[in-house]
Amino acid sequence: MSRPSDLIQGTLDLLILKTISTEPKHGWAIAKRIQHVSDEALQVTQGALYPALHRLEQQGWVSAKWRKTETGREAKFYQLTKAGAAQLEKELAQWERLSNGIGLVIRLA
Amino acid sequence: MRRWRWPGILRMRVRSLFHRSRVEQELEKELKFHLEEEIDEERGRGLSWEDARNAALRKLGGVAQIQEECRDMRKLNALESLGQDARYAARVLSKSPGFTAVVILTLALSIGATSAIVSVIEGVLLRPLPFRDAGQLVRVFTTNDAFPKFPINPNDFRDFRARLQSFESFAAYTHRDLQLAGIGAAVRLSGFSVTAGYFHVLGFKPAMGRDFDRADELPGKGQIAIISDKIWRTRLGGRRDALGQKIVLNGIPYFIVGVMPPGVQHPGNTYHAVAYGNTVDVWTPFTFSDPRDRGSHYLDGIARLRTGVTPGQAQGEMNAAMQQLAREHEGDRGWKVLVTPLRAEIVGRSRSILFVLLGAVALVLLLACVNTANLQLAKAMARQREMAVRAAVGAGRMRLIRQVLTESLLLAVMGAALGAILAVAGVKGLVALLPADFPRAGDIHVDALLFLFTLLIAVGTGVVFGMVPALQGSRADLRESLHESGRSATSSRQTLRLRNGLVISEVTLACVLLIGAGLMLRSFLNLLQTDPGFRPEQVLTASLSLPSVNYKDTKAIAQFGERLLATIRETPGLSAAGLGSDLPWTGWDDNAGGFHIQGETPPPHDDFGGRYHVAGPGFFRALGIPVVRGRAFDEHDTANGRKVLIINQAMAKFWQRGDALGGKLTFSDHPKEDDWMTVVGIVGDVKDTPKDAGARPAFWWPMSQSPFRFSDFSIAIRSNLDVKVMAERLRAVVRELDGNLAVADIRTMEQVANGSYSTSRFAFVLVGLFAGLALLLAAIGTYGVTAYSVNQRIHEFGVRMALGARPRDLAASVLANGMKLAVAGTALGVVLGLALSHLLGSLLYGVGAADPTVIGATALIAIVVAALACCVPAMRATHADPMAALRAD
Repeated sequence: MSRPSDLIQGTLDLLILKTISTEPKHGWAIAKRIQHVSDEALQVTQGALYPALHRLEQQGWVSAKWRKTETGREAKFYQLTKAGAAQLEKELAQWERLSNGIGLVIRLA
Repeated sequence: MRRWRWPGILRMRVRSLFHRSRVEQELEKELKFHLEEEIDEERGRGLSWEDARNAALRKLGGVAQIQEECRDMRKLNALESLGQDARYAARVLSKSPGFTAVVILTLALSIGATSAIVSVIEGVLLRPLPFRDAGQLVRVFTTNDAFPKFPINPNDFRDFRARLQSFESFAAYTHRDLQLAGIGAAVRLSGFSVTAGYFHVLGFKPAMGRDFDRADELPGKGQIAIISDKIWRTRLGGRRDALGQKIVLNGIPYFIVGVMPPGVQHPGNTYHAVAYGNTVDVWTPFTFSDPRDRGSHYLDGIARLRTGVTPGQAQGEMNAAMQQLAREHEGDRGWKVLVTPLRAEIVGRSRSILFVLLGAVALVLLLACVNTANLQLAKAMARQREMAVRAAVGAGRMRLIRQVLTESLLLAVMGAALGAILAVAGVKGLVALLPADFPRAGDIHVDALLFLFTLLIAVGTGVVFGMVPALQGSRADLRESLHESGRSATSSRQTLRLRNGLVISEVTLACVLLIGAGLMLRSFLNLLQTDPGFRPEQVLTASLSLPSVNYKDTKAIAQFGERLLATIRETPGLSAAGLGSDLPWTGWDDNAGGFHIQGETPPPHDDFGGRYHVAGPGFFRALGIPVVRGRAFDEHDTANGRKVLIINQAMAKFWQRGDALGGKLTFSDHPKEDDWMTVVGIVGDVKDTPKDAGARPAFWWPMSQSPFRFSDFSIAIRSNLDVKVMAERLRAVVRELDGNLAVADIRTMEQVANGSYSTSRFAFVLVGLFAGLALLLAAIGTYGVTAYSVNQRIHEFGVRMALGARPRDLAASVLANGMKLAVAGTALGVVLGLALSHLLGSLLYGVGAADPTVIGATALIAIVVAALACCVPAMRATHADPMAALRAD
């Protein structure tokens, strides 16, 4: 299991924001989604996930609502705010630049 | 984008702050939901509910930690936990009052000392001088090899003033005390005779009336005066019609033409010096009476530079003018001009001592910080287990660091508060301890700026020393600390090394200060042991000024002197009394050059010169200045008798061929038989100040034969009477002889002498105090580390006892450990001290910067104190209980 410190903090924020960009999700679903989409390469622990969600909420990038899930349980659903969408754009652009740069170094250096 | 985000954020924060329980409940609910989903998934793999739940819990990790971290993410914690931290810190600190008291006290002492010294430095060096655009003001001197900083000749001054371009304005002034009679008791006013433009140079304007102008400089224009605000209020009742009034000064009526406003400060002077500050009562116009005189130098020059002109450029221009003057007048040959900024002139001499003190105080402050860090570290180690427990129940890393930081800050703030009180008291003490002639002492006081400075140091210190233990404490490894019940020695090896380093540096700093204090002490003792050349015990002195109206010539003055002494000598218990022009060590600097000595030729490119004085019978005996050969003056040296002189030993060296005693000397270039004066006595040398390398050549005319009118006198009375009784008797006798005379400057010769030692005493006492403080801090540090390591190893000592080790061996091993640190610190301190001690420079007297006695004593003191500090913990080691140790394993 990857520990929270293995994921750069900003990266986890990016993953969360991206994951909820299509539709609101609760914490469990966000963790599962990241795990599934990354082909089990990325595992987000609750110890990292929930503090990150609360931080994003405090910064006004995500908002939360309590709703019933399909299983009938009450869960806290997180959705992207307008500011969060803008932040996601910014972080995506940043990530592109970073990964391009790293790719170039790996291939050419 | 930022703008519309804020309302949402604000709502979140407010919610977090005021609906705390709901937020907490929601968090719990959220985590519970997560756990349930996790259990569902595990059960989907076919596990029983019980197993699934255990697996899910394992995966979830510490719920409490997640909660705490989420709380951390919600920034409300910053506010909320600050109060919590402070309360907790106060509780922790009050639980170990000894530790707390020691830390607060060391901080308070060092912060207080720093603030006190800094406010002295602020008052003396940094605060602007109380003159308009004081940076443009310069002092002007004439200079040659024999007299590096000499007053200006009046006619030279007038020529400079007419010719110079560098100065916006240029003025001169000379000391001229005046006796005020007729309004209340007769009193001596501190006065100056000033040229036109003097107040303009300094930027002062009369509050009433007018300033002096060039017309006032002409002789015979009548007597006018400008008085200070103080005299106007105290002697003239602050009356608006004071202008044009007559006051009697030196027996002559003077018209008051101006009253200065309060706050007019004297810029200081060198010839018959009066200290800088609020020290002058009356100003009279300087009159140019003898247009041919180019030999007398007695004017202090002050000038305001034109904008953009440097003192160096002004000096260049003045020297060119001086060369021109030397071509025109024989008396101006061989002189150059010196221009120095007024500030340098006023504070120059005290700069070095202030910087040394600042350095000392910086070392003490550093030491206090190191010490506090050390104590905090010891405490942090002792609390490792507590920290681990708090981390285990969910305290975040930031939270732990903040906790320790809060404790440090709390200590720092308490230390600062106490330090501020000490600073106020310290400044008072320092000003009282200051040398008598210390410049700008009146400008020193504690102010708001200083308090801010104190606070800044305190908070800075808190952060600095709080950081180390905070980082150390927060790194505490959970499992290790919990499992090994805090008695592991291996995990703290790194910390111990750090603490050992701190102890070594404490001893080092203390040694540097000890070396400084030792050198100061030796200088001071050397100074005290130097033979002053006179015996200051049991001598009362005072000064008298005889106005020329009633005492027209030398004869009248000599007669008054004889009557005064005849009456005063009848006092029982009196052993000697005499009158003279001046007292030793009071800054007398009147010199005569160009005399001839019968049978001797002056050294090449030089002429004979010496300091002149006047003395009456009994003067040398009263001061205890020994007559080495020949005799002192007596009643037979009358105005009509043989012309005689007394010289000092330094002057006697002018006689290379013949004998000085009985030698003859004249000021006339074409002497008649009557112009020669005969040396009848040689007296011991008295240096200008106790630190001087040697005395200048000097001679004395008998009072009855002085070639020009001396009206200001000092009286010296040696008696076994109480000082106050003798002073009252002197006043009564003078009053009886002439009711218009003021007896001024009453003081004992011991007070005069002490004034000359005061700079050295000041330096030694302060640096000594700092060194003592440093030693105490280093001892506390050493004790702290040793005690801590004994506590850590008490189990090991118990085991060793059980295995047959003698208590003595255990104590010795503890002591040896402490001594290793002390010796290392001492060695470093001596090296550093040697490197730094030459900075003391002019403060040292008769001792080299690398004095073996001082270094030896320093090393001895440091090591002995460190050994004492180790003794208590070493004793504790011997009380280790072998049974307890064995039972524990």
